[in-house]
Amino acid sequence: MQRRGFLKLLTSILGLSALGAFAYPLFRFLLPVEAALVTKNLSIPKGEVPVNTTKDLMFGSTPIIILDIPDKGYLAFSKVCTHLGCLVKFDKDRQEFICPCHAGTFDLEGNVVSGPPPRPLRKFAVRVENGNLVIG
Amino acid sequence: MPRLREWLEIRIGLDELVRSQLTDYRVPKNINFFYTLGIVALAAFIFQAFTGILLMFYYIPDEKDAFQNILFIMNHVPYGWLFRLMHVVGANLMVAVVLVHMGSVFFLASYKKPRELTWVVGALLLLTVLGFTLSGYLLPWSQLSFWATTVVTDIPSAFPLVGDLICKILRGSENVSGITLNRFFALHVAFFPFLFSSLFALHVFLVRRIGISAPPLDSQEPEEWKQFHHEGHPDGPSFYPYFVSKEAFMVIIYLIVMFAIISLAPALFIPHDARIPADPLNTPEHIRPEWYFLAPYEMLKLIPNRFLGIALQLVLVVVFIFWPFMDKSQKTNILKRPLMMATFLVTIMVYIGLTIWGSH
Repeated sequence: MQRRGFLKLLTSILGLSALGAFAYPLFRFLLPVEAALVTKNLSIPKGEVPVNTTKDLMFGSTPIIILDIPDKGYLAFSKVCTHLGCLVKFDKDRQEFICPCHAGTFDLEGNVVSGPPPRPLRKFAVRVENGNLVIG
Repeated sequence: MPRLREWLEIRIGLDELVRSQLTDYRVPKNINFFYTLGIVALAAFIFQAFTGILLMFYYIPDEKDAFQNILFIMNHVPYGWLFRLMHVVGANLMVAVVLVHMGSVFFLASYKKPRELTWVVGALLLLTVLGFTLSGYLLPWSQLSFWATTVVTDIPSAFPLVGDLICKILRGSENVSGITLNRFFALHVAFFPFLFSSLFALHVFLVRRIGISAPPLDSQEPEEWKQFHHEGHPDGPSFYPYFVSKEAFMVIIYLIVMFAIISLAPALFIPHDARIPADPLNTPEHIRPEWYFLAPYEMLKLIPNRFLGIALQLVLVVVFIFWPFMDKSQKTNILKRPLMMATFLVTIMVYIGLTIWGSH
């Protein structure tokens, strides 16, 4: 190999190494920050969700809905439709969650009943502690 | 690649462009590393733009959130500290590079006819860089940034009649507030980048249109410039790869200095007061501006009359911008001009002296 070719190769390797060394920090920087996303649990007074009513809340950055259904107790679901991310609404008469964008419907377990959503709604654990509802 | 090259050749005449602008474009044979500082300044601007855009992914220009955002970027965002320190250190290095560039252009008398306009645009670029640093200084919303901005935005109030109005327009309120933060953020991320890019494009156009000036120190005095022509250097080395490799080498040196500071002295440009959230009810003691503003800051302190001090500085700025129109001498070799040499050295010594004085 001639000197010029060797120097070109060496410069290319060093340059690409330097760029590569930057790629990882840049990739990590652009990923969502776990500290900002992680919400371990959320607590609200039990009285804020009377029987047969719903309440909308933010769980970290996720909009959620809490319901108190007579036979099933307290339930909490992500309101984000698994089809394209619109927020579902609870239809009291039909006892279903309906997505206003493409009419996807989910039952009280969060399972898909009809429409295009590929997965059930994300479910959150709810427990009662000292008169409070602890979600998550 | 050959197909892409051919595609471009048919459409934009790529080969002729490369030949005329790069490989056949000649630079003066005795060109030195001072001539690379313009490209280093451009590289510094690109790094600042890149890291600035990354910081905007997390930063919120709001008086309640700004400082916490900075802490979040530094402590929680993966490698946030790296990109923020690159931005902070890069800002200081960029000012240093532009100052040395201007100093070398002055020393080598490259501002003389026909390059007066190139100098004027360059001086405006320096002022734009200082505008960048001033507007960016407030954004962390720390004690230092808040009170330094209070002092700076109060300066125009020394002028009668319009002073208070200018002060209020800058701040957007009676005192520095969240509105000021929004205004400075807009200036920092929208106005100054646009201004800098436009001026830089004009600067490069002028340099290319007129031709690169030959260093005068070991060459004969040039003939008098009577009409426009491109000043070529047919006996000099090529712009690419010869000069471009020199420029690339200097950009690497710039990066080495930046990362050396980030690694060895990360808090060099983040003093104690820059790590405390802004408190509009409590002015910290011994508040001082960044190193490049220490000289004018000390000069303001030395001149008892505030209006006189600020007016004198404005006059100096105007003299600096229009210097090529005041220095009419045909001679370019500063070594043969003792008075000019003395002016140059005294100016630098006064600037350094006032900077050291101001830092104590």
